[in-house]
Amino acid sequence: MNLNILWFILVAVLILGWSVMDGFDYGVGGLLRFISKNDNERRYVMNAIGPVWEGNQVWLILGGGAVFAAFPKVYASVFSGFYLAFMLVVWLIIFRAVSFEFRSRVESKGWRNFWDTDITVTGLGISLLLGVAIANILMGVPLNKDHIDYQSLFSLLNIFGLAGGLLSLSMFLMHGSTYLIMKTEGEVQKRARDFASGFAIAYIIFTILFLSLSLVFAQRLLDNSFGIIGDIVPVIMIIGAIGVIVSAKSSSDIKPFAYSVLGIVGAVASLAVGVFPDIVPSSINPEYSLNIYNSASNHLTLFVMLIATIIGLPLVLIYAFYAYKKFGFKVKMDESSY
Amino acid sequence: MDSLALILARFQFGMTAFFHFLYPPLTIGLGVLLVITEGIYVYSKNQEYLKITRFFAKLFAINFVVGVATGIVMEFQFGTNWSQYSSFVGAIFGAPLAIEGLFAFFMESIFIGVMLLGWNRLSAKAHWVSTIFVAFGSTLSGVWILVANSWMQSPRGYKIGSNGIPRMTNFWHVVFNPYFPSEFFHVITGAWEYGAFFMAGIASWFLIKNSKDMVMRKALKVAVIVGVIVACLQIVLGDISAREVVRYQPTKLAMMEAQWHTQRYAPETLFALPNNKTESNGPQIGIPGLLSMLAYMNPAAKVMGFNESIKYINQKDHLKLTPAMFPPVWLVFWSFHIMMYFGFYFALIMIIALILLLKNKLYDSQKMLKVFWFSTFLPIIALELGWFTTEIGRQPFTVYGLLTTVKSVSPNVSALEVGLSLFMFVIIYITLAAFALFLFKKELKERLEGKDELAGEAGGGIGAKAKEALS
Repeated sequence: MNLNILWFILVAVLILGWSVMDGFDYGVGGLLRFISKNDNERRYVMNAIGPVWEGNQVWLILGGGAVFAAFPKVYASVFSGFYLAFMLVVWLIIFRAVSFEFRSRVESKGWRNFWDTDITVTGLGISLLLGVAIANILMGVPLNKDHIDYQSLFSLLNIFGLAGGLLSLSMFLMHGSTYLIMKTEGEVQKRARDFASGFAIAYIIFTILFLSLSLVFAQRLLDNSFGIIGDIVPVIMIIGAIGVIVSAKSSSDIKPFAYSVLGIVGAVASLAVGVFPDIVPSSINPEYSLNIYNSASNHLTLFVMLIATIIGLPLVLIYAFYAYKKFGFKVKMDESSY
Repeated sequence: MDSLALILARFQFGMTAFFHFLYPPLTIGLGVLLVITEGIYVYSKNQEYLKITRFFAKLFAINFVVGVATGIVMEFQFGTNWSQYSSFVGAIFGAPLAIEGLFAFFMESIFIGVMLLGWNRLSAKAHWVSTIFVAFGSTLSGVWILVANSWMQSPRGYKIGSNGIPRMTNFWHVVFNPYFPSEFFHVITGAWEYGAFFMAGIASWFLIKNSKDMVMRKALKVAVIVGVIVACLQIVLGDISAREVVRYQPTKLAMMEAQWHTQRYAPETLFALPNNKTESNGPQIGIPGLLSMLAYMNPAAKVMGFNESIKYINQKDHLKLTPAMFPPVWLVFWSFHIMMYFGFYFALIMIIALILLLKNKLYDSQKMLKVFWFSTFLPIIALELGWFTTEIGRQPFTVYGLLTTVKSVSPNVSALEVGLSLFMFVIIYITLAAFALFLFKKELKERLEGKDELAGEAGGGIGAKAKEALS
């Protein structure tokens, strides 16, 4: 195994970290207006992610930084090529980031309604757009021989992109619901159990839809470099979702979340398997694709970054573990809550 | 890529960075002050210091979250708008950004949650440790961001590879590039100055309303003691930073000082109206020989003029730059000079305040309190102007001597796209700044009206009501 392959795996791990750790924040956000009926319930649901969402969001920043450092050409091509789509995501993230801090500071119904809607809309929007972007990468991006991508926002909105969007939307909503099963009690938890199995069913349907469409739009998912083993990776997605459906009805508070994580592992693994050894396939000519070699930084950068990751990532996990532990298993509100 | 798209992209970067940079210095500066006030509380058990910490932590939280929100785009903007820059220097420039996320941003972002929502869940000492982590994490963030920026000012630790793209050859040379130490200390000290003036200004506002506010008296005292140290230190650090410019960026120095012609006994110009067309300053006031003295410790030393500095760098880096490619000199000159005048003003104010404090007259001096209230946000203007100086002064380069701005921009993003996103950013950022100010004001008013006795007694504020309702 060389450094380039290792970094491909590490970037996949960071995407996984982001989807698992920040994914439920988006899911919970997207559910906010539907799962909670009054102001107290709203605050209860918000405080399920209140103390941790800010730390979780760093996975996204770190992912961006890691791609920039390890595969600068991917960073340059994708972000400039998907210009307006990424700008849209950035605006949603900005408005979401401030909402938690702002919402409960003013005791006006209109003010709070505004931020509740904001949290819901941004949660749904980011979850959807993520899948649209990834589906379009899987389908191939019109990279020319200089690895530059000239396309407009609207070309991203194709059937395959939308299917990818629905897939990621249902994934994060499922994940958010299972997180709420774990963190809440009473009425809210009951509703979360219903939502979890509902979105898990949607996740299975959209997985099947997406895979069927990929026969037409993204052959590479089947023609992957891992043969038959690669072909069965997406099955993990469905196993995870079935686990969520079954365990959501049981009395277990943790199992649905664990299965949901498995479902996400399946999705990220399928994505990684599907593109490898390319990172951004070119739809114009396979020769123009950005792969783990022609897009990568030189050896020393990859090595330095690897050392940094080996030292830094365990520290991050220790901080996060500490924070989650301090705020306990079930949400308990006090005067410093949001 | 047409030139309109380039102009818009530059404007967008400047605008988003300007708005983002409004917030992190306060996070760094106020963070350190919170560590001090909470530390005093932990070791003296004096409740007043806890009250200071808890009140300013509320303002800190608002500032922090807007800082994070406006910072997200900075991480991605190199890719969206400056893709040529990103593919060219990503192997070097991307590393400090990723390391910042891993070692610093995670630390501050995880512990901010613990700090803001964990008042009743942690022991006093454990809470203080989380505050330290937040302050340390945000300072460390500053370290890595300034590593990245200072590398753009004085690039080291790389070699141009066979494909024409620089490869990293030595990580530590990248990190400890010649500009880094002075830039880091200068900016961090500026952030601490802002923290001190912010706390002093807000405390003074409360003292103007009620001079018997014992909590705010203590806050003002802490802010003045910290402030006087950092404000005086800053003058020395500013001088050191300027001397690094002398050594490594002759074109920037010429613009900062509006020095058109190479001369001995070069004056330190205090006032001028620099004009690029006529290459002269119009009416000007200066102190003869002072610039030569400051730059080289010798009043007779020769200081390079604008045109000669361009020739010098063309020769050194095999470039073909013309004076027309450089920014208007007045912009760099005045950004630098107003910042410098602010620096002296801050030190003066803090020294006067210290004298009043020692004479026990500070809290009753309405004049001094008003000056502090007026100065609450002035340090951020100085910080922004300093950043204007260093970034505009670096033009026409993105990486000094290595890559020009023209060759950094994304070739595949149209003027329409940049214009649209720029328009949106302007609206979003003005909205966010307005929200932040509105909430600042609201917290101040609530405390003044006594609605918000955050004293640390459990059960104040909206939280308690929610607790009742939920139980």
